[in-house]
Amino acid sequence: MNINFSGVSKIFPPDIAALVDINLNIEQGEFVYVIGQTGSGKSTLLRLITREILPSRGVASVGGYDLKRMRNADVPYYRRDVGLVAQDFKLIPSLTVYENIAFVMEAMSVPKRLVAERTKDVINQVGLWRRRSMRPAQLSGGEQQRVAIARALANSPSLFIADEPTGNLDFHTATEVMKILFAINAAGVTVVMSTHNQGIVNASRQRVVELDGGRLIRDEKGGTYTS
Amino acid sequence: MTTLRYVLRDMWRLIVHQWVLGLLTLITAGVMLWILGVTSLLSLNMENLLAGLESELAVQAYLVKDNTLDVEAIARRIQELEYVYSIKTFSPSDSLAKLQQKMGSQSRALEMLGDNPIPYNFEIHVNSASDVEPLVEVLKAMPEVDDVVYAGLVVKRISALSRITSRAALVMFLLAVIITALVVYNTIHISLYSRREEIGIMYLVGATRAYIATPFVLEGTLLAFLGAVLAAAGIIAAYFPALELIRENLPLLTNIIITDKTVIWRFCALLAGFGATLGWVCSYLVVARFINSMTRPE
Repeated sequence: MNINFSGVSKIFPPDIAALVDINLNIEQGEFVYVIGQTGSGKSTLLRLITREILPSRGVASVGGYDLKRMRNADVPYYRRDVGLVAQDFKLIPSLTVYENIAFVMEAMSVPKRLVAERTKDVINQVGLWRRRSMRPAQLSGGEQQRVAIARALANSPSLFIADEPTGNLDFHTATEVMKILFAINAAGVTVVMSTHNQGIVNASRQRVVELDGGRLIRDEKGGTYTS
Repeated sequence: MTTLRYVLRDMWRLIVHQWVLGLLTLITAGVMLWILGVTSLLSLNMENLLAGLESELAVQAYLVKDNTLDVEAIARRIQELEYVYSIKTFSPSDSLAKLQQKMGSQSRALEMLGDNPIPYNFEIHVNSASDVEPLVEVLKAMPEVDDVVYAGLVVKRISALSRITSRAALVMFLLAVIITALVVYNTIHISLYSRREEIGIMYLVGATRAYIATPFVLEGTLLAFLGAVLAAAGIIAAYFPALELIRENLPLLTNIIITDKTVIWRFCALLAGFGATLGWVCSYLVVARFINSMTRPE
């Protein structure tokens, strides 16, 4: 799934410019870091891609969908092709690890047997099968993040959005999470990840998109992150 | 079928998650729908009573004594009036015979009158009690009519009672509907609010609005339906013993009030259906509003 932003701006009321005239093209299968200081517009960019917010100006299209013109009824179907991992995990506290992952497929009316097979697959992929009956509160931060990744993988998305997925994790756990994300990318999935973590960015030398004050100030393949 | 199973499971989770609130809603809805049911039954019985009395109401119109009158033509003209349900013509001889029959052993006193003094007359039945007064006005204005006899005060009182009962029943009905609707609306709103984060996550990972909304709508519908079933059970438990009491103490009324068990059972089924519909409408409104506001992109 490719992403194309053309002259995209996002202005929050009353007059806060979160993104200004962004032109960006991300091809299918790329791994892109979105970097920048707090308030630079990283999360706004990702929220535009997931269509939680709409652009105030410009055209944002993802996988051929014009996000501004998209019908509300099409949004769930679009999102099923976009895996999302957030810094705060966004897991449902009342559900177990297994249920948190299974419900994404249940919402698509996937039969129970197939849900069970796929859920087992993705939980194994993130190495949490033995913790499948636990609730998010019983897991560590790293484990919760892995559950969120497993849930995002459940529908086999073509685009993976990760908003500071290592933000709350120690170095070792963050490295584990990154390994999973690289494995996902190696399978041909586009990954767009925002981060503050210089070590992670510099270690893998992927494409880097840097934002500052809502403006795109650098777009570099094999880039690094220096403050 | 798969979706239905998931949706029903989620509805059950919602009910279990907030079972105290659900129970309170069920009881409140039950009490309000019971009041609604009892008021409706009372109103139906009053209507029955009034209809029974109204069917007995008749206006007697006496024509002037004139052999040249076309009695049949006058009867047709009266029959065409909108208030008239039926009209029966009595000749002077018929009327006298009827009077003699009514008077029984005292009928010989009528022989003292000499010639039959009773003119042609009509017994007119109206559609409802409220039609009597305007009909009398029309009849009195007709030159062929000499006199009009009717139970004026009774008619007025029955009309007034009918109006009051109808209005009181309507007010009670509306009150019960509004309170039940508000209770269901609030319960579902609380349920939605307590799960707003979950709803947001579900929408974000690709659940459709319908999939998210249906368990909440079903919860409201089920609670109101169960409340209505509770109300129906309360009505059945109260109505039939009350009927027995009336039979023992006021047997005359048993011909007028509703005693047919089938009618009462049907009424209760209707009440249950009404409760479910009310619950569905309220839940749908609150869920649609809430989910629309939550899923609207900024």
